[in-house]
Amino acid sequence: MTAERWTIEQVIALASTPARFAAAEAVAVPSRWSGLGADGRTAWGRCRGSGREPYDTMVDHAEVVWRCSCPSRSQPCKHALALLAMWVRGQVPDVTAPATVARWAAGHLRRDAPSGAAPPPADATSAPDDDRAAPAGERDRARDERLARLQEGLLDLDRWLDDRLRTGLADPALARYATWDTLAARLVDARAGGLANRVRRLAGIVGTRLEWHEQLLAELGVLHLLAQAGQRVGELPPSLADTVAIACGWQVRQADVLAGVPDTDRWVVAGRSDTREDRIEVRRVWLHGAHTGRWAMVLSFAAYRQSLDDSLAAGTAIDADLHRYPGLGPRALVGAIHAVHDGPCAPPATTVAGACDGIGAALAAEPWSEHVAVTVRAAVTRAGGGWVLADDTGSLPLVPGTPGLPVVLAASAGDPVDVTIEWTTDGAVPLTVHLADRALDVGPGPTRPS
Amino acid sequence: MSTTVGEHWNALVTASLLGTDRRDPPVPPDGPLADLVADAVRSTPSSRMLADVAACTVARRSGVRPRPPVGRLAPPDADGRPVVPPAAARRWRQVVTTWPVLEDEWLRTVAERGWRLPPDVLVGLLRRHRTDHARRAIAMDLAGPAGPWIVDHLPELAAPAGSVGPGPEAAVPAVSPELAPYLGADTGAIVTAIAGGMAEGAFGPPHRAVLINFVSRCRPEALAPLAEALRTVDSSGVGLAQLLADLAATRHQMLNELTP
Repeated sequence: MTAERWTIEQVIALASTPARFAAAEAVAVPSRWSGLGADGRTAWGRCRGSGREPYDTMVDHAEVVWRCSCPSRSQPCKHALALLAMWVRGQVPDVTAPATVARWAAGHLRRDAPSGAAPPPADATSAPDDDRAAPAGERDRARDERLARLQEGLLDLDRWLDDRLRTGLADPALARYATWDTLAARLVDARAGGLANRVRRLAGIVGTRLEWHEQLLAELGVLHLLAQAGQRVGELPPSLADTVAIACGWQVRQADVLAGVPDTDRWVVAGRSDTREDRIEVRRVWLHGAHTGRWAMVLSFAAYRQSLDDSLAAGTAIDADLHRYPGLGPRALVGAIHAVHDGPCAPPATTVAGACDGIGAALAAEPWSEHVAVTVRAAVTRAGGGWVLADDTGSLPLVPGTPGLPVVLAASAGDPVDVTIEWTTDGAVPLTVHLADRALDVGPGPTRPS
Repeated sequence: MSTTVGEHWNALVTASLLGTDRRDPPVPPDGPLADLVADAVRSTPSSRMLADVAACTVARRSGVRPRPPVGRLAPPDADGRPVVPPAAARRWRQVVTTWPVLEDEWLRTVAERGWRLPPDVLVGLLRRHRTDHARRAIAMDLAGPAGPWIVDHLPELAAPAGSVGPGPEAAVPAVSPELAPYLGADTGAIVTAIAGGMAEGAFGPPHRAVLINFVSRCRPEALAPLAEALRTVDSSGVGLAQLLADLAATRHQMLNELTP
């Protein structure tokens, strides 16, 4: 079986934590390796490490199995990840596999179970691909095991949350990163990566502002909601069950998403927002269907200092097939693109009250959503020491210090202007200002224009 | 007993600080919240409170309502000048990142042709030239009434305290005496001097700075032919020739985009 070349997002997702991938990046330098090579299914090489002898590393990128002579207990180790990262970047030459590699590849194929502990996700919420070659019975068993592991993790999380409310949020242990890291690591072990990421972010809330207890309490409530829903996923309506499972970290293969019924429309690229989680750059691109009026969100990832996908520019539009992830959420993949429109294109703007209705409806369907996009026509003005978007129906607070404020203020100049925002628990973050002859990308991140 | 979700939430926050080991959680107001808490899987105070917190959070977040309307800001005085075209605004962003030597000419041309700065370029210029008096003054001129207006509302865009005052003129890129006569020469002479000189090996990497200065100042009519000729240079200095071709093409496009 010959595997397609992976994307760097798949390698990132294979790492158990962003920090693990960051460690791999440090050794993903060809000069540290000897005997590098790859063929249609395997990559191999010897990496100089802290040991006296170089570590022999082999990765079967088709079956997603790895072997490394390093003493690390992490699976996959940083050498296997580094080898994959270099292979993805075309830094590993195509050659014939040496006998040792060929023997290893043939040997693991004869066995029923792959030696690698984790499968190759296509992205952060992508499913194990070890199912691909497994017989149906084996696949079902593996799925049941993963589900049981996830539910054990959710039960553990709920007990932990209960303890926090019992002992109180003034507990000094909450100010220690280790408290959150330990819980996040347990969730990663339970394959609840989505929840692990939320828990890690909580470490950054404690003590950072006056009302941190309130924000933390709300987030603990959301975690409880997900933990409870995740434990009862079999009792939920199918679409809600899918939404809950994905929010917890259940992985869905990109191939399965792309095999779904496409949502074909003219998709206006309404806005972009970049964030950094540890050393991984994450880009959200919000699309709005011109005919259906539905929102969709495309996620992309890049390693630190690598370029994010910039094929979808704010203010342009594509006639395209969008493939939505299972469930009620906006997450989608772009499939076939039939036409590209340079624009400027903009979603229809609503009032501030209409925006609140849209945000409320999205959050009622998916209460754990951290971002909701909406386009609003409003003027930028001051209220209560902060900045707001306001019209006759009311006002929406802007997140203090939001990077796009100066451009939105200059574009508004006291008058209403169409702005796509991302609603967060802290308020609105402007992403794009839609003017008659241009779209100004003001979303957070490195590509901010000014 | 608290009566609204907001008041109940405040009571939950207070109780959560001490923990249910030391303080009983508040009783939710009658209605869906109370029903939901009564259905909590476990019956300990902490588990009931956890269910209450989750339900309250969902209610508060999904029940987002607009804050009261607020009066608009007084707008800046009207400015009748046309706005710099989108392509020219994009070019400014390219110029400041790849060919900053062209920025002064971009600013000068915008002023000469009577354009007004778009919002993103206005903010970008004010940030970029906070301490550069000459260019900041040019930016404020181009901004028109919007310049002082935005600085008034966002003091972080103002020049740092104590740095106000006349500054040096924007520097003009220096051209070596050997090339100076060609600045005003006709197109053929410029192409021959630069592209021909590159092809014959008369110019190489040590001349990079003077050649960049020359291309950024030579007659605009020569830019397109010069870029074309430089792209065909096939000598040891091909890398420099390509670089200069890019500069010439960028400047040519920049000036075209600013032509009404």
